[in-house]
Order: sequence, then structure tokens, then C-alpha cells
Amino acid sequence: MGEEKTGFRGSGDYVASEELMASVNVAIALKKPLLIKGEPGTGKTMLAEAVAKSLGKSLIIWNIKSTTKAQEGLYVYDTIQRLYDGQFGEEGVDDISRYIKLGKLGEAFESDEQVVLLIDEIDKADLEFPNDLLWELDKMEFYIHETGRTVTAKHRPIVIITSNAEKELPDAFLRRCIFHYIDFPDDALMEEIVRVHYPHVEETLLKNAMEVFYGIRALRDIRKKPSTSELIDWINALQLGGIPADQIKSALPFIGVVVKKDEDLETVRHNANSL
Amino acid sequence: MFTKFFHSLREKGLHVTLGEFLTLQEALEKNLCESSMTAFYYVSRMILVKSETDYDKFDMAFEECFHSAKFETEITSQMLRWLDKSDLQQLADDEARSQLNELEDLQVHMDKEEIEQKFKERLRDQDSEHNGGSFWIGSMGKTSFGSSGGNVGGLRVGGKTGHQSAFAVIGERKYRDFRDDRVLDNRQFQLAFRKLRQFSARLDIPETELDIDGTVNKTCNNGGCLQIVMQKPRRNAVKLLLLMDSGGTMIPFSALLNDLFQAVHKSNHYKDVKTYYFHNCIYSKLYKTPECENGDWVDTDWMFKNLGSDYKVIIVGDAAMAPEELYSDTGNYRGPNGGLAGWDWLQLIKKHYKKVVWLNPKMAPGHAPWREAETAIKGLFPMYKLTVDGLNQAMTKLMTNK
Repeated sequence: MGEEKTGFRGSGDYVASEELMASVNVAIALKKPLLIKGEPGTGKTMLAEAVAKSLGKSLIIWNIKSTTKAQEGLYVYDTIQRLYDGQFGEEGVDDISRYIKLGKLGEAFESDEQVVLLIDEIDKADLEFPNDLLWELDKMEFYIHETGRTVTAKHRPIVIITSNAEKELPDAFLRRCIFHYIDFPDDALMEEIVRVHYPHVEETLLKNAMEVFYGIRALRDIRKKPSTSELIDWINALQLGGIPADQIKSALPFIGVVVKKDEDLETVRHNANSL
Repeated sequence: MFTKFFHSLREKGLHVTLGEFLTLQEALEKNLCESSMTAFYYVSRMILVKSETDYDKFDMAFEECFHSAKFETEITSQMLRWLDKSDLQQLADDEARSQLNELEDLQVHMDKEEIEQKFKERLRDQDSEHNGGSFWIGSMGKTSFGSSGGNVGGLRVGGKTGHQSAFAVIGERKYRDFRDDRVLDNRQFQLAFRKLRQFSARLDIPETELDIDGTVNKTCNNGGCLQIVMQKPRRNAVKLLLLMDSGGTMIPFSALLNDLFQAVHKSNHYKDVKTYYFHNCIYSKLYKTPECENGDWVDTDWMFKNLGSDYKVIIVGDAAMAPEELYSDTGNYRGPNGGLAGWDWLQLIKKHYKKVVWLNPKMAPGHAPWREAETAIKGLFPMYKLTVDGLNQAMTKLMTNK
């Protein structure tokens, strides 16, 4: 997409497909959160880092866990600290705002310059979690009951949300997002990605390793398909181990780096001839 | 603009809302598509579609609406608007057809490259909307370019056509695998099984959970002195009975069944899970292991007596019995029939258990009278294909009261 020279164009160590770059730029232009889905290891989380880096903005990461509540992202009122301080007669106990701690979303709103906010693995949280953030992400503001203050975003942050599709996200939330599914990289893109990490990788080594890698992914009985990061680790191991390229297919050295499950190792050994 | 596209998407089962469609208009307004068909494809997809399982439906709708705009040419959104004459389609069709015969001889011989070349030239020169003419790009015209036109050998710009030509990105239909009606893997199995939940606190288990509301109430009533109240934890009350077809025609699906089995046992939130195996059809014995060896079994009658009617039953099998296996009381060639035909045993299961579903890894789509046994069993139990979609439907069926 030629014109948008100012937008996101990938970065030195992150190779993005045209569509992915387009979706980032559309999300920025339309001021909507960008929802990213994809197989594990396709670089969903790294995307936010790359966007922040290439646009020269700082990155705020909000990691979601199964226990995370939407409220925590806005602010937390530390009542216990206030109680302690009250017992010891600390100064300023009557000033509630001292005990209001902004969460990651609040931090992004209060920032003096535009930031990139990554809400990582939103599907880990409760089913209701995304719904609880609808207003805040739409209007870019929230209200602190204890002090009666409204926190409004000084600069609308670029919001990137990742999901592993463990749970269905609510429709109301989805309607407000720009959606992009990261495909598993094809040969050409994968080669580019590997070269970003190891610019001097030997030609035949890379070729053979990738053939084996895609061969394993194509095996029908494989339980956990190896991902990009595993290929990169493997190529690193092959280089460090000084394995000659022509032995990769026959001996499958360090294959444990690529395949992690016992059953899968068995399957791979069994099918070694057809790789 | 593109209201037909909107309707076509909804027809394909995508729940596109007006809000999202307006967002797309906003994107067009802001020129985010940069007048390229491919960019328009990606931008509209990222705004209108919110799950990779729907990409395929989107592709089909897109192809239907923008069928032959397959080549990468700069078409301004202005021009697409001129061509968006879906209301006039019917009218144009009739007219076009009558002109078709006269023009066919004249223009169909132009070869494709020549037309494309001319199209690009004319695209450069054109500065206004043209309909019905014979030179400029427009709708209902006689030139080789434009929509709703009558030239058979020409190029279409947007709009709809009956002639075949593939749109490169869509032609591959590369997202077909993501459709949620594909055959599924373990993780998705587990997620589907999570639907089988019925929380209950009326179980025979010790009171091990702190009842916060109760504690606050008691403590307040007690004048502020702490008084703790405990309660029974809420547990899933669902009991599951899994009956799996093993061996023979099911061998190609063994990896899939293994996954299903794993998923059920990883979903440790059930009150009880029982699994038995059968070969082709259920008779008087149920096997304890998938090998279905004689002797290593329980009586089906024993199961009826010991596993109450509140068990939810999932039968997995291809329902591809030969007629005598299903209807003859000597049809079981591997073990005892127990005096009843397989069909009668299945009827007993239906009578005894309130909730039974049948999952079939190779169910024929729609009505398939040539699969005799499958059709008969479909009449007895609700049958679903063993896919994400089918499993979800089956789980919903098990949880709802008809």
C-alpha cells in the first residue's frame, strides 16, 4: 500500500506482511483497537513492539491473566496502605488521590505523548472482561469514583490487542475492533524472517532446515506444530553445532528443539524418510 | 455505496452490522483503500470480519460481488461509485442480452491483453460518469469495459457478472480450513466440552468454601465479633457417558477419536465420566478397551442399571452398519447379540437416557438416503458431524431442554 510513508512499515527485526502493515495503518487512521489473532509463535506480541519502535512511540504492555479484572487496568484504590498510614499517623491520609494507583490503561491515557498500548492475550481473562472495557476503549476516558475525577486520554493511544482464541470474544467488543489474522508465514516470508535474525546463514543449511520444518508441520499426526520461534532456535543450534547442511535431512540433529512432545518425536522419526 | 455487498455478506451468514459497514465507508472516505481492489479487499475484510473462521464466507461474498475485477489496476473509488448500479442490474441484463448477439461478432475477437491495455488508457482519460455509451467506461454500455455491460469479451470493473473468471486472492480460498465446520483438534474439543456445565451446590460434599456474604451478615449480627460461615463449593453436576465405535471403518479416524478421548478426560470438571467401546453397533456387551476383546466387557444391561438416566450420552461412530448388523438379531459377527437386534439396543438406550447425541466423523451432508443405517439412526438420535461446529451444536443439545 504505497502512499502511507508515514505509517507502520515493519521494522529492522520484524518482518510484517503487506496486509498486516495495512491493518495497523487502518486501525490508526480509524482510531479503533486492532485485534490480532494467529497461531502461537507467529509474532503477535512482537508486533506491538515493532509498531512502537517504528513509529518512535513508547510501549505500555498490559499482560492479561486468568484473574485479571478490567478495573485493574484503570486504577486501583489501595485501601490497605491507607489504613496502615492512618494507624501510624502519616501525613496526607485524608488525600484519597494519593492512594489511587493508575493501571496500564490509565497510564496510557495520562501519558503526555501518544503511546502504543498492548493488551496481551485478552482471551485469558473472564468472558466478561472485554465488555467491561467497551466504554473506556470507545470514549477513551474513565471515572474514578473515590475522587470524582474523570481521566481522559490526552492523546488517543494506539491499542493493539492479541488473542489466542481460547475463548470467544463478545460480539459487542468485536464490532469495535479492526481484525487481523496472522497467517503462518509461507516459505518466502519465513526465509526473510530467518535472515533478519541470522543474516549470514548458509544457503543450503537454511533450505534443508526449512524443508524439514515444513515437512514436520505437514505431518498429519503431529500434536503440536512447531512455530517460527522454534525454527529460528533450531537454525541457531545447527549453526552453533557446525552441522553440515547435507546431514540435516538424514540425521535430524537437535530435532528436540523443534519438536517438544515425546509422541511427536516418535512420529517424526517414523516419517523421517518422507521429510 | 456497495449495499449489495453488505446484503451479500449477510446472506452468506456473516453478521455484519450497520456500524461496521459505516466504518468501512469512513475508511473509503479517508482513502485508506488507495483506489486498489486488493487494498479494498483487505480493508473491508479487516473491518467487517472478526474471526478467521469467517474469512471463507467473506471471500465467497466478495467474489460474488466483485467477481472479475481480478487484475491490479488503479480504479478510483469515484469510478467504482459510478459503476455501482446494482438496482439497475435486472434492466441492464435484458438490454444487454439483446445487444449481445449483434456485438458478439464485432468485438469478441479482441484479445485480452489488447483490451486490458485499452482499458488502462481509457481509465487515464476518463473524467466523468458514463452509462449506456459505447466508448467510455460505464455501466450498461457496449464497450469492452465497465459493469452490467453487453460485451462478452470485455473486462468488468466491479459489479456482477455471470461469466467465470477468478479473483487471484480469493480464487485460492486459502481460509477454507479455518471455517468452523472443519474437523477439529484437541484444544477445540476441550473448549467445546466446557459448554457442558451445570453448576450445583446441592451435592454431597463438605462445606469447604468461605461464604463471604454469610460471614459479613453473621458478624454484623454478632456485634462485630468475627463469625465465619462456610458453604459447599459449586461443582459441575454433569455426568458423561461416552460410547465409542472402535476398529473397522473407524480406523481412519483413530487420531481424531484419540483427541476426543483426551479432551474429555482433560476436562476434569465433570462429576463423572464413563467410557465404553463398541464395534460397529451396540449389542448386549460393551467393551472396556478400544481393542474390543472378547471377555473384557460389561453387560449393556448392567450399564442401564448402574448408570442412571441423568448421564448425558455421547455416541461416536460412523453409523455405517450393514443392514443385517442393524436389524438382524444375529447380526453381531463379533460377539453375542443378546437376543435383540442392534436397532433394538439403540432404542433401549434412547428410552433409558434423556440426553443422547451421536457424533459422526464422516456424516453425509444433508439428506443421504443411500446411507441406510445413517439415515435410520439420524431418526433415532440427533446426529452431528464431528467438527467444531457439530460438537458445539451437540453440546448445546445436551444442555438444553429440547
